[in-house]
Amino acid sequence: MNLRTFNALGKRGVLGINCRNSEYIMRSNPRSAFPLVDNKVLTKRLADKFDIPVPPVYHLIEHHGDIHKLEAKIAGKPDFVVKPARGAGGKGIILVADRQADNFVTPGGTILSKADLDFHISDILSGIYSLSGLDDTAIIEALLHPAPVFAQVTYAGVPDIRVVVYRGVPMMSMVRLPTRASDGKANLHRGAIAAGIEITSGKTLTAVYHSAVITHHPDTGNPVGNIQVPYWERMLLIAASAFDMTGLGYIGVDMVIDSERGPVLLELNARPGLAIQIANLDGLRRRLDLIEAAPAAIFATAETRVSWAMQTFGASRQ
Amino acid sequence: MTLNRYIAAIVISLLVLPAILISYRVISLGYPLFPATPERVWQISLDARISGPADGATAIIALPSYKQGITLLEEKITEGPLDFSLQTEGQNRYAIWSGATEHEGTPVSYSATFIAKSRYPAPAAAAVNSYPEGVDRAEQTLAEKLVSDKKTLSFTERIKAIAPAATGNWDTSRLRAEDLEKWSVIQNRLGSVKALLVLFRAAGLQSNMVEGLALEENVSSKTDTWIEVWTGTSWQIIMPETGIIHQRTGAFLPLTRFGMPAVRSINGEVSDVRWSLNRQIISQWGIQNERVGSSDRLLNRWSLFRLPPQFQNTFRILILVPLGALIVCVLRNIVGFPTFGIFMPVLMALAFRNTGLLAGLGIFAAVLLIGYLVRNSIDKLRLLLVPRLSVILTLVISCFIFFALVGNKLGVREFMAIGLLPFVILTLTIERFHIIIEEQGILEALRTSAGSAAVATITYIIIQLEPLQLTFFVYPELLFAVMALQTLLGRYTGYRLMELFRFRQLGESNEPKNL
Repeated sequence: MNLRTFNALGKRGVLGINCRNSEYIMRSNPRSAFPLVDNKVLTKRLADKFDIPVPPVYHLIEHHGDIHKLEAKIAGKPDFVVKPARGAGGKGIILVADRQADNFVTPGGTILSKADLDFHISDILSGIYSLSGLDDTAIIEALLHPAPVFAQVTYAGVPDIRVVVYRGVPMMSMVRLPTRASDGKANLHRGAIAAGIEITSGKTLTAVYHSAVITHHPDTGNPVGNIQVPYWERMLLIAASAFDMTGLGYIGVDMVIDSERGPVLLELNARPGLAIQIANLDGLRRRLDLIEAAPAAIFATAETRVSWAMQTFGASRQ
Repeated sequence: MTLNRYIAAIVISLLVLPAILISYRVISLGYPLFPATPERVWQISLDARISGPADGATAIIALPSYKQGITLLEEKITEGPLDFSLQTEGQNRYAIWSGATEHEGTPVSYSATFIAKSRYPAPAAAAVNSYPEGVDRAEQTLAEKLVSDKKTLSFTERIKAIAPAATGNWDTSRLRAEDLEKWSVIQNRLGSVKALLVLFRAAGLQSNMVEGLALEENVSSKTDTWIEVWTGTSWQIIMPETGIIHQRTGAFLPLTRFGMPAVRSINGEVSDVRWSLNRQIISQWGIQNERVGSSDRLLNRWSLFRLPPQFQNTFRILILVPLGALIVCVLRNIVGFPTFGIFMPVLMALAFRNTGLLAGLGIFAAVLLIGYLVRNSIDKLRLLLVPRLSVILTLVISCFIFFALVGNKLGVREFMAIGLLPFVILTLTIERFHIIIEEQGILEALRTSAGSAAVATITYIIIQLEPLQLTFFVYPELLFAVMALQTLLGRYTGYRLMELFRFRQLGESNEPKNL
């Protein structure tokens, strides 16, 4: 931690949080578009309009008085997800993988009673997980069944793929893989690992665990690199169209590959984190500069942007 | 880049504006550039008795004047039954009492507080003045002959060489004995002051006879007389009886220059003259208050010092809070250290003024810990958000009461001042602390606590700095400069120090670790 690292990071094109906020988010993300991504109900409606697949919604709960109606809505559905519409960073999300009598079982094996679940929904409605502390809506939606592509490098939970998009051009990607330490969650600060994905090929690179670079999953011991992500171009297209959907110039697009539906849009993020740079061992700055210098023609459609990105953004490492 | 140019323009204006205001106050209104440097405040008082014939007496007594290089703060004059007027002649200022006096004399008095400056103002013109009256041509020629060899020396050296002549010490090797003898006759006739003055003028030095008082706590019935000589950069004071040179003119209070007597009368007499000087112990706040309070200039009338005193105290503190905010900016945007809420540490710092820093931090930590334990245990109760926060708020207040009662029993004042801690902030901090532990682990929660405590401590130390309080209170326009710094920080797009650590893998040669 000295001036030399300062310069080295600069040379590597690492994007810092101050620069991200003032040069990219503030400049390219109009405040008016934030509700579209901060509220997942709005995001889902928008995605439907653009024919982008999202997890089917079973039920929306907006009032405490409606919590008791949940029972009827999830009747016959063995698994589902409860999440706050305005939550951030995966907060307040409960996955129910199975049901035992009146109780619910999470993928990690934790058993929740009906009362536990009601309390959690009530918390969501009170706005505990909401970004601004406002009253919130609880979304009850289908639980996704991840395609087996990452099964060898996932410890329980659902791996999700993040693509960071600038001006509609997908520029960097990673897959977040749950670990034992992360309790099946794909959140990096909880100990999930993140493997970079090369934009040109859709193949995984090395991963980051906390802040160390690793090549093998800490729990399963399998190599995380060189896994070909299926539907890669389609995923990049979904990511690219998120820009057309929202008008946000700098956006993080989170997707899951469902075993039946293929790539499904999970959520959008108007302030995507910077850890993706560690997963890719490359800075965002250079790619941002390349996009800014790209000829206007490539921005015509999502397809042209994706094909330009797939020609341009190879792995930085030899 | 146009945005950056725009920002630069704003920042520069925010810096120039206070610079202009401060220069104006310093140059035109006589404000001290550094209001917090200790100054020498004196009180001078003059008492005298004026008596004269039935048709009236007139007494003219010199008063201290800002033109003599001091700052007058407050003046009081008692004129009694006499007519009173003020008159200024060049650098000298006189009080004139006139009218019919009582049989045993009419008492008059004058008093003033003033700040002695370390330097007198420079002379109006650099020219060497003419010889004093009553010195004839032959005497002038002799004086010039006596000092002719000193003219090659620098001003300062010349003063040093001539001053000993006050006591008759001459470099006899070069001078003829008969000249020296002649001079000592002249010296007797003119008096030591005038004789020395003639020598300085003969040597081409600008010099004046000054009547005044030495600045020391003293009561005296007469003034002192000395000679001041200009060295080209400053005045030096030479005592005519001893030839001693004083470099520090600030140790003297001049009353009249150019040989005018400090006390004189027309048609009558001035008796029982008593000058007294006292070192005044008044606080820096008091000095500024008097300086500003006695002026009708616009900026003085619109000064914070014109607020009623009970409201001034609040602003002494408030005016430094933006500095606390500046520290929060630095810690969060340049260092990258987390804090609870944005300005919570600033509010903590304000509260610590009542409890003291260590006690404040300790109490804060204790309430946070108790709050966290309770928050953790009521988690099972599944209370809704607002009622849950209300419960914690009630708990926080209960803790306050408990601490206050314990403090009262033990006689610990800091515990009793606990009620001034920001309880709402404390409540939200407990909730936030719980959430951070749940979501990001105890380490992150402790890091955030450490960050908050650090900002609170630094802010507390800064807002307690009396010199800084005073400076900002005198020059509230400094807040614009603070705003300029905040604006600059708002455009800092470089790495945060914590990021150098976070992204260290990208800075180093990155060999993947094989597990």
